Formats: sequence, structure tokens, C-alpha cells
Amino acid sequence: MNRIAAPLLRIASSGALFLALAAAFFLLIGRHPLTLIAQIVDASVGSGYALSESLVRATPILLCALATAVPARAGLVSVGAEGQLYFGALVGTGFVLAQLQASTLLPGMLIAGMVGGALWAALPALLRIGLAVNETISTLLLNYVASLLVVWVVFGPWKNPASQGWPATAEFPPPALPPTWFDSRIHLGLWLGIAAAIGLHLVLTRTRWGLALDVIRGNPRVARLAGLDARRWMLATMLVGGSLAGLAGILETASIQGRLQANLSAGAGFSGFLVAWLAGNDCLRIIPLAFLVGALLAAGDGIQMLADVPSSVTLVAQGLLFVAVLFVDGWRRTRGIGTRP
Amino acid sequence: MNAIDIVLGGFLISALRSATPLLFVLMGETLTQRTGIVNLGVEGQMLVGAMAGYAATAMSGNPWLGLAAGAGAGFALSWVHALLAVGVHANAFASGLAVWMLGFGLSAYYGSGLVGAKIDGFATIDAGAIATVPVIGSVVAGMTPTVAGALLLVPMASWWFWHTRTGLRWRAVGEAPAAARTAGVHPAWVQVQAIVLGGVLSGIGGAALSVDYTRTWAEGMSAGRGLVAVGLVIVARWNPWWTLPAALLFGGTEALSLRLQAAQVPVSAQLLHILPYVVSLAVLTIVCLRRRTGGTPAGLAAVFDR
Repeated sequence: MNRIAAPLLRIASSGALFLALAAAFFLLIGRHPLTLIAQIVDASVGSGYALSESLVRATPILLCALATAVPARAGLVSVGAEGQLYFGALVGTGFVLAQLQASTLLPGMLIAGMVGGALWAALPALLRIGLAVNETISTLLLNYVASLLVVWVVFGPWKNPASQGWPATAEFPPPALPPTWFDSRIHLGLWLGIAAAIGLHLVLTRTRWGLALDVIRGNPRVARLAGLDARRWMLATMLVGGSLAGLAGILETASIQGRLQANLSAGAGFSGFLVAWLAGNDCLRIIPLAFLVGALLAAGDGIQMLADVPSSVTLVAQGLLFVAVLFVDGWRRTRGIGTRP
Repeated sequence: MNAIDIVLGGFLISALRSATPLLFVLMGETLTQRTGIVNLGVEGQMLVGAMAGYAATAMSGNPWLGLAAGAGAGFALSWVHALLAVGVHANAFASGLAVWMLGFGLSAYYGSGLVGAKIDGFATIDAGAIATVPVIGSVVAGMTPTVAGALLLVPMASWWFWHTRTGLRWRAVGEAPAAARTAGVHPAWVQVQAIVLGGVLSGIGGAALSVDYTRTWAEGMSAGRGLVAVGLVIVARWNPWWTLPAALLFGGTEALSLRLQAAQVPVSAQLLHILPYVVSLAVLTIVCLRRRTGGTPAGLAAVFDR
């Protein structure tokens, strides 16, 4: 099997299995599968507005997928993008609430968000390299801590007294609002996410850093002989990933919500993990796949209004997509067809 | 009832009640991991268990049917992990997350009609003469059948695991699959059994949460309890006996944070909600610091110590 046919076959067979599983679920809930699939496609890309909302939904997923893929290059299974997103939103909001100088507000806020995300990623990284605490479990637990910290500040110290019981901070001043495009909610995050994906792709495939990570992940013993300190690289990849998830968090807060409030993520961190997995942690492939998953989830809100189907249907579809890909990859690997990079 | 009864007994029973859903999940995950398989999907299995259990209780009025429905839902969903992680050797972490996503979505979809439904749940058990014993009496009298069931599960499962032939087979699969195979045990089949048993127990845990502990259904209501359980397995050193103190650690912290709120300490309730997660992670860190590998089934070492 050559290099082009193998990935195409993987995509085709995963896609076919996903559609079959989704169709079976739609039949189970009493919907005509083809009609509902057509409605989902229509609600995700059927109009300029739908397309823009899909891109908006894909933006934090793209950044969170990169936040998963970069540590994965050092052999880490981080599921902490969700928490890093929340903590980035928290620190970035703190900067906005404290700083009153309009000229540096926007860049300062974005940097603060990235620092927040990086800090939240540093914790599990240090626990892993210092004390051998499994990073998958620590990142998952820290997700809850970060999102509950946001709940705390919006109910407590940072609550806007003028919002009459609704737990949220004061609205961000106009200088803190990132620019938007096309008369839609598409914001700075989309371009930053695409640029980060391309930049990371170049770094990981064209530089010594990428090579060093490949050695560390592929053969720790050779890495040690080559003088590479795996622990330092693990920390570095977690910091880079965390800063991107933190950026997603503060952009979502500033651009979409306009203020900090609870539940700002809508699961973008976990969808990002799924996207990174689908992409085999390849930063370029993450771009279209983030759009695909973002479009699927954005369609959830559309079909709720158009077809009177609860938006959670697309959450089920997202899970089925993950199941389909894991099954096809596993099936192919156990039979020796194609291997994951 | 004197003051000690109210303070100590009251705290103990609220810690036990909070620990009960977790204890079911933790026991299931411990036994699953002993065969060499990690299942993060217990979070999703808890959610479908909580939703199905609540729905069955609301429809039938019988909380026992709720527990049975929760067990069935957890059982059914855990087959996805069995198929992926054992059947086609998919990465166990990724497969668990897929099961979690699927369980979250399914429970949100089927549970949307249940928000606001009312149920009666379990009555506390009849403690009889024990109720007059100081402290213990008030604890026993405050127990519901799920609390008593979780407490009985610990010695039963531990005895089964350490002292029966099938328990030995499960341990052998986790420690030395090749040797187990030579002895005529089919490791993959044992792992599948362990995953679906974990599915049943996490489903019961989810139902105990919605039917008995909170008596409500809300989307994503397990709030990480399944993931906490995956972490606490390490704290319990993969030993079924130690699941009780490990679960009480979470339950005790949650009970304490509720007590502090009720006592109107000048700390925000939202901040206190974080406490159980922080304590779980802190204890996990201490355990990892003190004993790096002790107790880990050999078959799991490849998963955790990459």
C-alpha cells in the first residue's frame, strides 16, 4: 500500500463507519438518518452565517487540539486543555480588570491569557517529571479545579454587582475586544490558531527541535545517549500547549462572551483532544479536522431550532466519531495495515 | 442523642453517603485495572447509569429498579471500551475518553426530559437495636441501602479477589498475561469480563448518585467522580480493601466542605467545592512521591510509566 492510498483508505473507512453508527443512532431516536444528516450539513455550512458560526466554534477547538498535539510529541497524554483554557481566561480577565491603560490592553490581555494557560500546564508537567504523577490523571483533575475557580470568581470576588444575580464579571471595555471579520463573530483567534498550526508544523518537521522530540518519543534510551533531557522537553511542550489553550480561553471570553462567566468552554478542550487524535498529532491536519468537529457541534444549535432535535445529538455524534476512528485504526493495526506516525 | 453523636456520627454518615457512589466506581475500576486495563470511560458510564437509574425510578417509583437500570446502562456502554481497548487494541486512554464523550452525549440526550422530575428515592434502613449504640447507632440509622451495599461490597469483592480461583486468574492476567495464557487462561476474555464488571459497578455508582445521594438528574452531574476514581485507584494501591479509605477521603472532604458551608465559615461555597479535587490530587501526589511503583500490576506499568 503506498503512502497516498493508505491514509485515504483510513479516512474513507473511518468516515463510512462513523456515518453508519450515526445513522443507526438517528434511526434509534426515530429520525430519518438521511434527512437529519442533510439538516446537520445544512446547519453547519449551508449559509454564510452557518459557515461563520462553524468557524467560530472551531477556533478554540483548533487551539486546544494544538495544546494536546504538542505535548503528545514528547510522549505525553495531556487531557488538560480544558483546564488551561479556563485558567487562561481567568488570568486574562484579571489583567483586563486590573489594567486601565487602553493602548496595551489587548496585547497584554492575550499574553496574560497565554501565561495563565502555561501556568496551569506547568503544574501537571512538574508533577510528572518530578514525582512521576501520571499526567493524564492530573490534567483531568485540574480541569475541574480550573473551571470551579472560574465559577468562584464570577460568583464571588469579580462578580459584577450591576448584572443582577447573573454570575459574570463586568463587561470588557471596547479596547479589550479583539477585532472581528466578515460582519460575523469570526475573531482574531481563528487567524492566530491557523498561524500557530502552520508555525508549529514547520518547527516540528523542519527543525532540530522537532527531531529531538521524535527521538525522545521514539526511543528514550537513544535520547539519553544523545544528551537530550526528556524532562526539560516535556515541560517545554506542556508550556507551549498550555499557552495556546490559555489563548483560546481568553479569546473566547473577550470575543464571544464579552465578559468572564462560567461554562465558557462548551467542551472545546475535550473536542480538541479528539481532533488531535484524529490528526495523529499532525499540526497541519488539525486545521481541517478542527473545522469538521467545530461544524458538527455548531450544527447542534442550528438543528435544535430547525428540526426540533436536542443539540446533544451532535455530542453523541462526536463520541461516535471518536469510536469509529479508534476502531478503524485499531482494526488496521492489528492486521498490520498502515501504522500511526 | 448527645452532641458527640450529632457531630461525629453526623459527619461520618454524610462522608459515607458522599463516598458511596464513588466507592462503587472505584471498586469497579480497581478490579478492571488489576487485569491491566485502564478505563477513563467510567465517567461516561456513571452518567448513563445516573440518567437511566433516575429515569427508571421516576417511571416506576421503585429505586431498586433504578439501580438495576443504572447497572444495565453502565454494562451496555462499557462494551464499547471492551471492543476498542481489548478487541482491537486501541489506546486505552483514548478509548476511555471516547466512551466518556459518548456517555455524556447519550445521557444528555435521553436525560433532557428528566430535568425537574421528582423521585422519592430510598428510605434509610431499619437499624433495630443498633440504633441505640453511641455514634455507630446514628451512623447505621442514617444509612440507605446503597450505603450499606457499598460497605458490604468491599469485603465481598476483596475476599473474592484474594481468595478464589477466579480472583487469582484475574490477578495473573494483570501481572503476567503470558504465564496466565500458559496456564490455560484467556487474558483478553478476562479483561473483557473485568471491563463489563467495572461497567456494572460504575452504572450502579451513577444510579446511587442520582437516585439516592442528590435525588436529581442534571447533565454531566457526575462532575469528574469517575475520573477521581481512576486517580484514587493509585492511592488505593490497586487493592480492593483500600478502596474504602480512598473513597472516604473524597467523601470526607466533600462532607467537610458542606459542613463548613452550613457553619457559615467566611470561605465561599464555590471555593469549598474545589476541595475534594485538590485533596484527591494532593494525596495522589504524596502516594506517587513515597512509593513510585509498589502495588502496580505489572501489565499496567507499560501504561503508566511510559
